[in-house]
Amino acid sequence: MKAKLKTFAATIALLVSGVAVVNADEVKPHKYTMMSPAELAEYLIFVDKGYKLSQPVQEGGVAGQRMFQDDLQKTCSKLRGERATGDVAAKISAAARKTIKYPEGGIKLGDWRIGRELAWSGFGYRVGHKNDNHSKAQYGPGGNCYNCHQLADDRVGGTLGPSLLNYGKLRGNSEAILKYTYEVIYNPHSVFACTNMPRIGAKGILTQEQISHVMAYLLDPESPVNK
Amino acid sequence: MIRKLAYALPFVLAVSSAFAEDSYVDMAPEDILQALIDKTGSAYLNQSPQNQQMMPDNPAYWVADEGEELFRTPRGPNDVSLESCDFGKGPGVLKGAYAELPRYFEDTGKVMDLETRLVHCMTTLQGIPADNPSVKKRHGSKSDMMKLQTYIALQSNGVKWNPPMDHPMEKAMRDAGEVLFYRKAGPMDFSCQTCHGSTGLRIRASTLPNVNIPEEWTKAISWPAERAGHQNVRSTQHRVRGCLWQMRHPGIIAGSDASIALISFWTDAARGQPAIIPDLKR
Repeated sequence: MKAKLKTFAATIALLVSGVAVVNADEVKPHKYTMMSPAELAEYLIFVDKGYKLSQPVQEGGVAGQRMFQDDLQKTCSKLRGERATGDVAAKISAAARKTIKYPEGGIKLGDWRIGRELAWSGFGYRVGHKNDNHSKAQYGPGGNCYNCHQLADDRVGGTLGPSLLNYGKLRGNSEAILKYTYEVIYNPHSVFACTNMPRIGAKGILTQEQISHVMAYLLDPESPVNK
Repeated sequence: MIRKLAYALPFVLAVSSAFAEDSYVDMAPEDILQALIDKTGSAYLNQSPQNQQMMPDNPAYWVADEGEELFRTPRGPNDVSLESCDFGKGPGVLKGAYAELPRYFEDTGKVMDLETRLVHCMTTLQGIPADNPSVKKRHGSKSDMMKLQTYIALQSNGVKWNPPMDHPMEKAMRDAGEVLFYRKAGPMDFSCQTCHGSTGLRIRASTLPNVNIPEEWTKAISWPAERAGHQNVRSTQHRVRGCLWQMRHPGIIAGSDASIALISFWTDAARGQPAIIPDLKR
């Protein structure tokens, strides 16, 4: 009996020490603390899969693709909203200019009425819940322009970007202004390196034709933007 | 003499607490908001006097009342209440607990926010299955989750945000959250900073809070809040989800470490400012 008790006590001691060993293991630094903040951020996205990475998205493929950063996104993330300067800016703008594809037959203004709708609409490409299906929308996914810009004064626009009220009235619509406006919409980093503005053309948010309508909204003398 | 002092004491205490700098614990959320508006003149804080006027009758108070009953009622297969759930300051201690979340919990070895901690207690302590609507349904004023979260968070109204950074995991999650906050991605190149890096700027008619101004940021992160436009009380996790949706990033998984890292960073960004709970937002 005594021996049995002893064995029992020894077993308990083993169990307790076993538990202690397990606890000692837990005290070991967690893998998260062994990573740099940037490494952990990537880990949380792609390895821990904290996002719905395999959900299909409107542009084709899956949502996970959207979390891979290109060079521009990597460089500009580090600036935390500040514009790039000097050599960095020159490099970004040079790379951005290479992405710009111009319409065959030159840059022409489309229909400002369609442009008005595109500039106002901003629902395209949302995923995760309430996924949009903008392939069925009359004017496509929308350009989101009013989210950040004041355009015509009959609707309230945002102020994250500069006011574009009277854009064409102030600038006219020479070839040079058409080209400049097209480039800023298509890939704004060609002019403003690390701007907060999306690459509307380069990332395929709007087609060349849709951009021509938005440009008409900005530049056509009949557009409410210029009235 | 002593008697005179005794009479004077309450008065002295009252005066000194009124003048004690930055004490918000006994103030109604609308008064805390007004104090911050008076202090900063912030266009973000001041953008909806209508909402501020409605704050004394915030529907979130009813949601919190229902949450208190749920909190105190023995529930689940284990037939226990949530009064033995440890939200970081000891079992059942709710006063100020939410203002110190997310934090590291020894029993799970994880940094947890209010929602994940609540889910943990409901599924382990009470034994409610994770797919039971009581745990699974995360959104809407009628959900158990929002009732409970609103009640628990309410106990931190006026308490200054103070998420602990003593444990290496807390620091690691906060720092990764900062990277995620500034990480541009997706078809629009958006990061959280795109909208929350400047002061007084608007998306359409909405003035945006700046992560770098703690007095603005505390209102931005003061959830649960009634969203007038939604006619529902919404959670922190709901705000994260909504922002990422607008950013065209993939949907975030509620309770994922990525979501908690973001919440750790943004709570740290409001450190030292009083929680405004329940808030009423547009």
